[in-house]
Amino acid sequence: MSVPVRWKYGLVALLILTAFWIQSFVLFPDRVDFNTEVKPLFNKKCISCHGGVRKKSDYSLLFRHEALASGASGRPGIVPGEPENSELIRRLTLKDEEERMPYHGEPLSKEEIGLLERWVRQGAKWDRHWAYEPVRPVKVPEGFFQGLFGKRDGNDIDLFVRDKLDEQDMKPSDEADRRTLLRRVSLDLTGLPAPEGIAATFLADKRPDAYERLVDTLLSLPSYGERWTSTWLDLARYADSKGYERDGERFIWRYRDWLIKAFNADMPYDRFLTEQIAGDLVPNATDEQYIATAFHRNTMTNDEGGTENEEFRTAAVIDRVNTTWEVLMGTTFACVQCHSHPYDPFLHEEYYRFMAFFNNTRDEDTDGDYPLLHEYRGGDSLRHHRLKTWLQANVSAEEGTRIVEFLRTRQPSVNSLTADRFINSELADTKWLALRQNGSARLKGIDLSRKNRILTKMATWRKDGVLRITLDSIDGTEILRTRLTPGEWWRHVEFPIMETGGVRDVYFSYHSPTLKNPDENGAMFDWVHFTTDFPGAGREGRDSAMAWFKGLLDAKEVVTTPVMFENPGWLGRKTFVFDKGSWLAPKDEVSPGVPASLNPFPNDAPTNRLGLARWMTDRENPLTARTMVNRMWEQLFGQGLAETVEDLGTQGIPPTHRELLDHLAWKFMYEMDWSVKRLLRYMVTSSTYRQGSAADAEALRKDPYNRWLARGPRIRLSAEQIRDQALAVSGLLSPKMYGPSVMPYQPDGIWQSPYNDEAWVTSKGEDRHRRALYTHIKRTGTYPSFMSFDGSSREVCQSRRIRTNTPLQALTTLNDTVFLESARHLAFRHVSQRGTESGVAIRAMFERACGRPMDDRSRMAMERLYNEALVRFKRDGQGTCEMVGVQGAYDNPETAAMVVVANAILNLDEVLTKS
Amino acid sequence: MGATRKPLHRESLEKSLEFTTRRHFLRECRTGLGMMAMGSMLSGCDWLGSKTTTAAGPDAFDPSQPLAPRTPHRLAKARSVIYLHMAGAPSQLELFDYKPELQKLDGQACPASFLEGKKFAFIRGVPKLLGPAAGFRRHGESGLWVSELLPHFSKVVDEVSILKAVHTDQFNHAPAQLLMHCGTPRLGRPSMGSWVTYGLGSENSNLPGFIVLTSGGRNPDAGKSVWGSGFLPSVYQGVQCRSEGEPVLFLDNPAGMDRDLRKASIEAINEVNRVSHGEFGDPETLSRISQYEMAFRMQVAVPEVMDIADEPAYIHELYGTKPGGNSLANNILLARKLVEKGVRFVQIFDWGWDMHGTSSNESVDVGLRSKSATVDRAMSALLLDLKQRGLLDETLVVWGGEFGRTPMQENREGKQNPFKGRDHHGEAFCLWMAGGGIKKGFSHGETDEIGYNPVSGRVSVYDVQATILDRLGFDHERLTYDFQGRAFRLTDVHGSVIREVVA
Repeated sequence: MSVPVRWKYGLVALLILTAFWIQSFVLFPDRVDFNTEVKPLFNKKCISCHGGVRKKSDYSLLFRHEALASGASGRPGIVPGEPENSELIRRLTLKDEEERMPYHGEPLSKEEIGLLERWVRQGAKWDRHWAYEPVRPVKVPEGFFQGLFGKRDGNDIDLFVRDKLDEQDMKPSDEADRRTLLRRVSLDLTGLPAPEGIAATFLADKRPDAYERLVDTLLSLPSYGERWTSTWLDLARYADSKGYERDGERFIWRYRDWLIKAFNADMPYDRFLTEQIAGDLVPNATDEQYIATAFHRNTMTNDEGGTENEEFRTAAVIDRVNTTWEVLMGTTFACVQCHSHPYDPFLHEEYYRFMAFFNNTRDEDTDGDYPLLHEYRGGDSLRHHRLKTWLQANVSAEEGTRIVEFLRTRQPSVNSLTADRFINSELADTKWLALRQNGSARLKGIDLSRKNRILTKMATWRKDGVLRITLDSIDGTEILRTRLTPGEWWRHVEFPIMETGGVRDVYFSYHSPTLKNPDENGAMFDWVHFTTDFPGAGREGRDSAMAWFKGLLDAKEVVTTPVMFENPGWLGRKTFVFDKGSWLAPKDEVSPGVPASLNPFPNDAPTNRLGLARWMTDRENPLTARTMVNRMWEQLFGQGLAETVEDLGTQGIPPTHRELLDHLAWKFMYEMDWSVKRLLRYMVTSSTYRQGSAADAEALRKDPYNRWLARGPRIRLSAEQIRDQALAVSGLLSPKMYGPSVMPYQPDGIWQSPYNDEAWVTSKGEDRHRRALYTHIKRTGTYPSFMSFDGSSREVCQSRRIRTNTPLQALTTLNDTVFLESARHLAFRHVSQRGTESGVAIRAMFERACGRPMDDRSRMAMERLYNEALVRFKRDGQGTCEMVGVQGAYDNPETAAMVVVANAILNLDEVLTKS
Repeated sequence: MGATRKPLHRESLEKSLEFTTRRHFLRECRTGLGMMAMGSMLSGCDWLGSKTTTAAGPDAFDPSQPLAPRTPHRLAKARSVIYLHMAGAPSQLELFDYKPELQKLDGQACPASFLEGKKFAFIRGVPKLLGPAAGFRRHGESGLWVSELLPHFSKVVDEVSILKAVHTDQFNHAPAQLLMHCGTPRLGRPSMGSWVTYGLGSENSNLPGFIVLTSGGRNPDAGKSVWGSGFLPSVYQGVQCRSEGEPVLFLDNPAGMDRDLRKASIEAINEVNRVSHGEFGDPETLSRISQYEMAFRMQVAVPEVMDIADEPAYIHELYGTKPGGNSLANNILLARKLVEKGVRFVQIFDWGWDMHGTSSNESVDVGLRSKSATVDRAMSALLLDLKQRGLLDETLVVWGGEFGRTPMQENREGKQNPFKGRDHHGEAFCLWMAGGGIKKGFSHGETDEIGYNPVSGRVSVYDVQATILDRLGFDHERLTYDFQGRAFRLTDVHGSVIREVVA
């Protein structure tokens, strides 16, 4: 009965469509579309001379007002509606090569000129590029075809996809079988094959919504957070080292743990993003919110002696700008660093206005990676707790906060590497101020109001050195003269200073009566904190409180994490436009601001990173949601709806399914409240996702890269998934979560950094078999198997990994110790469980790794391998022992042969690939 | 063969046979049964037409066949490159740039005009000038000045062009090395060898096209990024071959698995993979089958080419090599073997040339003398050996550091360093090139009387890069790749070919 109704709808729809189609001819003959027809022509033929980089004859086609303006010729480039009066059109048709455009180039074709003429006649309408338009609700395609086929399982995603498939005259594939689907969705959502119990439940579950239930279960597993963190770490360019030449160790793993927790708690994406950009500026920021800001402290620090700290601080700030745009807003912004964007509507100055948001943080390329968030643990946390309790009971909230906040970040402090006016003094290794006999140096512009003490991290080994601090010059008002006593290298020392007030230049001078060698350092300083008396004078227990405070400064049981910290006013930085991108050529000063071509900055938002985060997560921001949904799609389907996830601008590859992208972005913001879990659930429960991934020759010919989604995704697993899966199927994988990064087995000689004796010390026990995302990443010596499978060295953000297929990958999974260990354990599990009946064990191992029963041809191939191996090992006792790697129960030819088979199984295309 | 000396003509005959056999094999493969396997073997990549790529050369770049041999923009003078990088930056003033005036000024304060507005890595205040710590003489028909520290090189100087006024704007190791090899002081861009492999593909299907050898106990300061592929697909990154341990990581089978068993195991893997291909029809599966075959072949080909023990005694004599162990000389001999086998780009890094004068080993009179001895004989032998094999004409050899050294004695943190040493200096330094269409016995560029600033023939690091690409047949402005919204190239927005030194 329903069929005729559907037909009716279909016919009505067809009639309406036809009417529109005819009408469009009558009313809009050949309406020229700026974005798809004109802009690409400009980009290809004109913009290299008349655009953001070069503006030959003072004429540009980047913005409409520029295109309408008169260039050097004095005639208006475009007069809307009047091609005959438009210089642009005239110049295309001239005979004289000196005058005709493109200058000395191939003239435009008649069709191209005709197109531009029509466009000018139609008013030279300058549409905004789709990705810069705010996201608006999209009508879900329905009607004729939907009516024809009826609604299958799935959701609106499928209607968008089907709509395009129809245009391509292609048909969707049937749903993949349950086992394939189980493996696919488990690997996609948790990065691992489903735990055996969950798998068994699903395969036995006959309810119609069994798949949806499986998805919900997988989304609730802790391994979900680990899997998506693993992806985010590429975007955050996370590493356990500082980068550049010395590439020393950095402790920033708390950020990795923050990500895992945030993903598992399904922190809404707008908050997720806000805390990473500006968690430190959230009122009453928690430690966790500070740790989130380590996102942008993953930039590199250059400790090479002789390097200019300001240069590398600037490089880090620029990296934060570029990463923010590329990773969070799908826009490649790096080119605007040197000149206006050649294709997209961003001006040179706007780059630096945007940079101004990020340019006021306390980090200064210091060796210590300051500022650091300090979390006190063990005995120190007890001391910390006691001190806080005492402060609460005895001093004002303001004074108490000052102490607690200082212990938390050690800020605000002045890094000694900002010193200047050196007289017989220098920055030792260009890192720390070192004063020699009668040496002095200046710290500029110090706020001394209500300051009567300094607290400094310093080092000296002379007994009779005297430190003087004077104002405005070395002969100025002396606010401190004190004997320095030797002690532990780098320690915290406090001195009273004369209270003078004001913002002053402060000079440090040093003299020692017995220091003979003028070249020898007398005292070194790391940072200086200008402060006031410890509060609570006269209160009971103050001495203990001060002792706790001092003890905490030198705390041993403390975990530190580099975080963002905004400069207080007196340390504020100015931001300038850098001429042609060179930090040595600052031009005009700029204030923080966002590009005019995007959504306006919220009126009531503060002009700092927190306000910036509000602007980015404003539902009117056209890029944030689109970028995120496109990325999630790319993670599941192997390529984004817009393939260039890093560039949704005019130079990116246009999306195949723009309406679907907008539909997802809209739902993500307005219906799912930025819930990433809901977004993923929506995607993986679509029929599109659940299709089988087999392709016949015809399908491959029509759509080799599966852009139109007539089949399910089939893509090679990531480096991390390949390792984790091998460990998981063999039963070796440790479920341990969180904590400092670990060092699983790696070959010798990978770490060879100059000047530092850090060594790869293989972790003990289960730490050797943790998930890949806990592996220690040193930028100059990245874990080799990750690198061969297209992992990132984490120097800069990597928006997507380009999948390669190389012999080095084959060698890795064949021979790397972790894969050999996995093969051994996979074999041990099955020979011990099933006795030595080889056929059963082989089939079980295959099923465990591939998630499906073994076909006969594969079984025969593997049994042949087993038998050949068995014959060899029966003759070769030593080879047997080496292959199984242990003595005892497994040291027999049958097990050794099974290890060889397990090793082969872990190398199968089907295992390395998600089908 | 062992240590018996193989007559040269015999060797060259063998080589030509091997060459034609290889060509024959390739041709067979392309037309015969092996076609499918070969096609997928050369196609290492499935980056799904990632970003559209601007043409590398007249041969359009096909992302599905990233290592297929391609022809460059124009006729190439060189087919392969051996780049010897002395990491740490050797002193030009003790090796190639003879400055008698500097000797006379030894110990005097450096004139203020040289210091104004300059920044050094370690020199502070007013340093003293330091005369050359080595004697110089003219050599060969060309009469080029060469230091006594390079007695062997003095004899082959008629083969090379020395650039004496190269400049760089980076004066710290890591950024300067990156600039030299990747065209930028920052991380994230492809290295020269990656660009070349991207542009030319690979000639040998059993070996990587871009191989890196390191010595001196450390990797270069800038780490592996100096042979990284940056934003190019990772198939183009340099493969570090090691002369100790496995020559390529994970090349060796696990203990207990011999070659026959590995063969059986790869056959089983590929048999099951063919089942998968039958089921899913994924072309990547075919690719994987060939990659496993190539991995298997590499297990033999790489150790073979990386083993110098079977080189005749006279070759070891010539290079000063001792098989077994890691040394710069061994790596230089390996480089010859690799280019002979069709490897495009061999990058050698030797660590330990940073003679600041902080210790005797890091001084320009003692440390540099012994360090020079480790390279002199082998690099000279390389030129002779390539020449006798008729390979010098098609192999471009480049030797240099990341910058030069100051004519002044270093005074780190304002104090006189305890030994004779020089700070980093980017204004002018020396680099030589030979073979591959480079002029013979020629010197280009001059510096002032103390070797501080160029007075003529000043060339930049980008010019050197442009020249190397030019010799390989590339227009450095057209070898580009689209990334982050624009076409990137090795020389960024700089560089022009140094016409004076090309033959």
